[in-house]
Formats: sequence, structure tokens, C-alpha cells
Amino acid sequence: MKRIPLEVTHFAGSLRAIAIFLLKSEDPHLFIPIRAIIDTGSPLTLIGTLDVKKARLSKIQLKKLEGEHKPVNIGGGKIFAVSLEKAKLRFSNDFEIEMPVNFPVSGDENSLQPSLLGIDFMLKTNAKLVLDPSKKEAYFEMED
Amino acid sequence: MEQELVLLKRFEKDNEWFHKNTEKLQGEGFVGKFVAIKDSRLIASDKNVDVLIREIEKKGENPAFIVIEFVYPQGYTLIL
Repeated sequence: MKRIPLEVTHFAGSLRAIAIFLLKSEDPHLFIPIRAIIDTGSPLTLIGTLDVKKARLSKIQLKKLEGEHKPVNIGGGKIFAVSLEKAKLRFSNDFEIEMPVNFPVSGDENSLQPSLLGIDFMLKTNAKLVLDPSKKEAYFEMED
Repeated sequence: MEQELVLLKRFEKDNEWFHKNTEKLQGEGFVGKFVAIKDSRLIASDKNVDVLIREIEKKGENPAFIVIEFVYPQGYTLIL
């Protein structure tokens, strides 16, 4: 069994399981560490507006992505997201996976929208989420 | 690949520093501001994230590699 350790910490008023990974892509060129909240209620992995700004990704660059464009309802607002199909996520335990990640391209811009690691990651990797909030322990577990 | 690991570890450490020092930042007048952390030190802050990113760039840093967080007020709860 392989484990990806997660941080369990108070963030914006609640205890959350948080993953940190390196998001990489060749086109557009991306090389940025991401702090994402584990959100099993989100069907997709979404990179937050702040991380998009940090990566200096323009809306023009994002709109050129050939992945699926789709509406996403989030936190009471609605955005349009586009997916980067061949993004690579690398974790500090050396685990790396190629999967689509989504970027906001239009709609209610909110710099406070955090990046989310959604259920799509768990489906892609066949990972189980183990979360023990009282001990502040969490990890993804997957078969080798 | 080793360089990637070093970058990730540093980012994790700065992220941890932020979470350990959130209350302190709340008490020091950073509520409602974005803060930038590097090497377990606050290097810049601003209410406007675009201004903060420019400030980081002026310091010769790549914002992509810097932990930038928003300091929420105490008692604020964000529902995803």
C-alpha cells in the first residue's frame, strides 16, 4: 500500500484535510506548488483563482485550452471552468499522476476561492481517504 | 526531480508556518489581507492580491513559489 500524507489543520473556520502537490504541465508551461483542500463533495479538481494569478496564467491562455469547458456552481456563485487534460500532480512522497485539472476562465471572480482536490483524483488513483479529525491525521491510501 | 522535492518541502514548511501563526497574524492587524510567506517569514502583505503579487515580483521572487494566504477574521467559516 502507498500513502500520501495530508495535513489536517484549521483553515477558514474549520478543520480541513489539505494536500500539497506540484502542478506541472508543458503546454501551457506550469510549475507551481498548490495547496488544495480535499473536497469529496467536489466532482472535479479545481485550481483556485489565487493560484491561477500566482502562476501568471492569463484568461487568454486558459481559453485556448482544448479541454472541456463547463459551468461549475461553487459557493453560491457560478463560474465557467476549462480543463487541462494532461496536468501532472506530484506529491512529496514521489507519487505522480497525470489527470485533468480545471481552471476558472469566467464568471464570479473570487480570489478567495481555494484550490480543491476533488473526488476525480480519488477515482483516478483508486485512493481511499482516511481522515481522523480528532487526531489531526489524514492520508490517501492506494494500492502499489 | 530532487529540485522539485526541495521546492515542495519548502512550500509545505511555509504553509505550516502560516497555519501555526494565523492567530498571531489576526492579532497583528493582518485580517482582511493577503500575506506572503517565505522561509517562515512574512515578506509582504496587501488587501489586493494583484498588488501583493507585483510586490513579490519587485523583490525578485517568483510568486508561484511563495505561499500566499488570506487572513480571515476569527470566527469566520468558509463553506465550500
